[in-house]
Amino acid sequence: MVSRVLGWIDQRFPLTPFIKHELTDYPTPRNLSYWWNFGFLAGFVLVLQIATGIFLAMYYKPDVNLAFDSVQHIMRDINYGWLLRYIHSTGASAFFVVIYVHMARTLYYASYHKPRELMWWTGQVLMLLIMATAFMGYLLPWGQMSYWGAQVITNLFGVTPFIGDKVVLWLRGDFAVGDATLTRFFALHYLFPFLICAVVVIHLVALHTVKSSNPSGISLADKDNIPFHPYFTIKDFFGLGLYLIIFCTFVFFVPGTFIEAANNIPANPLVTPPHIAPEWYFLPFYAILRAIPDMLGGVVAMALSVLIFAILPFADRTSIPGGAHYRPVYRAMFYLFIVDVLVLGYVGSQPPTGFVVPLGQVSTFIYFATFFLLPFISKWEERWMRARGLPPELMALFEKRPPRAKWPRKGEAK
Amino acid sequence: MKRWCVFALCWLACNAWAETETALNKVEVATDLPTLERGAETVMTVCVGCHSLKYIRFHELAKLGMAKDKVDTWRGSNTMGTAISSQMPADAALASFGKAPPDLSLMAKARVGEADYLYSYLLGYYTTPEGATGNHYFPATKMPDVLAVAGVTDPAQRAQLEQKAREVTSFLAWAADPRAQERQTLGYYVIGYLLILTTMLYFLKRRIWAKLDKA
Repeated sequence: MVSRVLGWIDQRFPLTPFIKHELTDYPTPRNLSYWWNFGFLAGFVLVLQIATGIFLAMYYKPDVNLAFDSVQHIMRDINYGWLLRYIHSTGASAFFVVIYVHMARTLYYASYHKPRELMWWTGQVLMLLIMATAFMGYLLPWGQMSYWGAQVITNLFGVTPFIGDKVVLWLRGDFAVGDATLTRFFALHYLFPFLICAVVVIHLVALHTVKSSNPSGISLADKDNIPFHPYFTIKDFFGLGLYLIIFCTFVFFVPGTFIEAANNIPANPLVTPPHIAPEWYFLPFYAILRAIPDMLGGVVAMALSVLIFAILPFADRTSIPGGAHYRPVYRAMFYLFIVDVLVLGYVGSQPPTGFVVPLGQVSTFIYFATFFLLPFISKWEERWMRARGLPPELMALFEKRPPRAKWPRKGEAK
Repeated sequence: MKRWCVFALCWLACNAWAETETALNKVEVATDLPTLERGAETVMTVCVGCHSLKYIRFHELAKLGMAKDKVDTWRGSNTMGTAISSQMPADAALASFGKAPPDLSLMAKARVGEADYLYSYLLGYYTTPEGATGNHYFPATKMPDVLAVAGVTDPAQRAQLEQKAREVTSFLAWAADPRAQERQTLGYYVIGYLLILTTMLYFLKRRIWAKLDKA
C-alpha cells in the first residue's frame, strides 16, 4: 500500500529521489564533532519561535494602550499562555546563543573558505534578519526597556547623511516611538521570520551543493563520508535532547533571566530609565557604538562590526585548510577575539564611566585589528608554518593538489 | 586556553551579579498559604489604600485557598471577578503625592533585585537628623513609612516588622507570577521526560553508529 502511494506520488513529484538525495544518500563527513549540531538547532529554534509566536499573536494586541495588558493577559489568564510567552522570550536569547556558537565554529575551523563563501554570506544575511526580528519583537511587550531601547536605536538612524530625520520618521511612523511604531514593528516582526525561512532554504541549498566542512579541514575520501540519515539525524536529535534540557530549565525555573526588571513597568515616554542597555546579544555591538566619541563614527563602527565578517573569505589568505585545527597563530587570534567579544559584552552592560570607557575603546580597537591584520598574519603564518614543516597529512594533500595563488593574475596559467 | 575563557566569563558574571545585589537585604520568599494570606491581609488593608493590583481578581485569592470570609471582607460590594483597585481616586493621589502610586501586580519583578529590593525598601525607612523620614533604597520615594519602621529600636519589634515585610513581599511575589507553582511542577515532569528521552536517544545513537564499525 505504502509503496503504491509513494509510486503514485513519485510519478508526479520527485519525493523518493528528493529524500534519497538530501537525506538517505546525502554524504556527510564521518568525523563531524558536536559543534556541527548547531545549524540543526538553529533551524529548530526558528520553527519553535514561529510556532509559539503565531499563538501569541492570537492574543497579543499591538496598541499602545493594550499591549502591556495583553501580555499580562497571556501570562495570567490564557491556558498555558505563560508557557508560550516564556518559550518565545527565552527562545530569542537561545536563538542568539545557538547562532553565535554556529558562527564561532565556522570561524574556528575557517569553514568560510572556498567553496563555502556563499554559505557564510547567506548566514550573515540570516544573522542580520534575526537581529532585526529580535529588535522589533523586543518593542512588542511595550515595557520601559522596550520603549527606550527602540527610541535609542531608531534615533541612531538619524546620522544618515542628508536624509537622517526622514529615515527616523519613516522607521517610527511618527516623531517619537508610538502607536504607529508599535503596529509596524508588529507587522514586520510577523513578516521577517518567513524571510528568514526563505534565506534558510538558500543556505541549505548551498550547503547541499558544497557539503559540510569537517574538523580536519580536508575534503574526505568517499569512504569517510556516511549518509546523513540515519547517522546524523540521530546525532542531531540527541543534541536536541541536550539542548532542550538546558532550554527548558530556563523556561520552567528561571524564565525571568532574559526579561529586564524595567520591562515589567509599562512604557512611559516621560520617564527615562536610569540605565538603558540592550539585550545581552547586542551588548558587544552596543559597546562598539559607545566606544567612538562621535555619533556618526559610532554608528558606522557598529554597522561595520556586524558586516565586517563578510570579508573573511578574502581577508584570510592562507592556503592551509582546517582553520585553527592546524594554524596556531590563527587559533590564538580566534581565542583572543572571543575573549575580546566577551569583554565588549561586559563593557556594553556597564554605565560608561571610569575604566569601562578606555576598556571599551581598547577592545573595539582589538576587534577591528583582528580583521584588518588577518590578511598579513595569515600570509606570514603560512610562510612560517611551511618553513617549520607542515604536518604529514597536509604535505600529502599539497602533493596531490599543489597550492597556488588564490586568484591567478592575468596571463598566469591556472 | 578554553579554561581561561570559561574563567573570564565566570569572573565577569560574578562581577555583574555582585554589583546589583550588594546593597540589598536578602529575603526568602515564602510560598505557603498562611504566609501569603497574612501578606494579603496587610496588602488589602494597608497598601490598597493607595495602590491597585489590577491584574489580580478577588476570585484568584479564593482559588489560591484563602478563607472565603476574608476575601469577602476585602472585596466589600465588588464581585469576585473584579480586579483589585486602589481605594484612593487617581486625582486625589496625584494631589497628595504629586504622582500616581504605581500598580503593585508586577512590583516584585519590576525593580532590579526583585523581591529583595521590595523587602529592603519596605524596611529601608529611617529618621534623618533633621527629624524627617528617609529611605535608604529609594531616597526620592513619596510613599510614607507605612510599616512605621523608622522609629523602631527594639529588636523584638524590629523582628516583627521584618516578618510583616516578608509576608507582604511574598504575597506580591505571588501576585507578580501567580503561575510559578504550576510552572515548576510542570517543569519537573518536562525535565524528567527529557532526561529519559535524551538517555534513550544517546543509546540509540550509539547503536546506530555501531553499525559503521561492523561494515
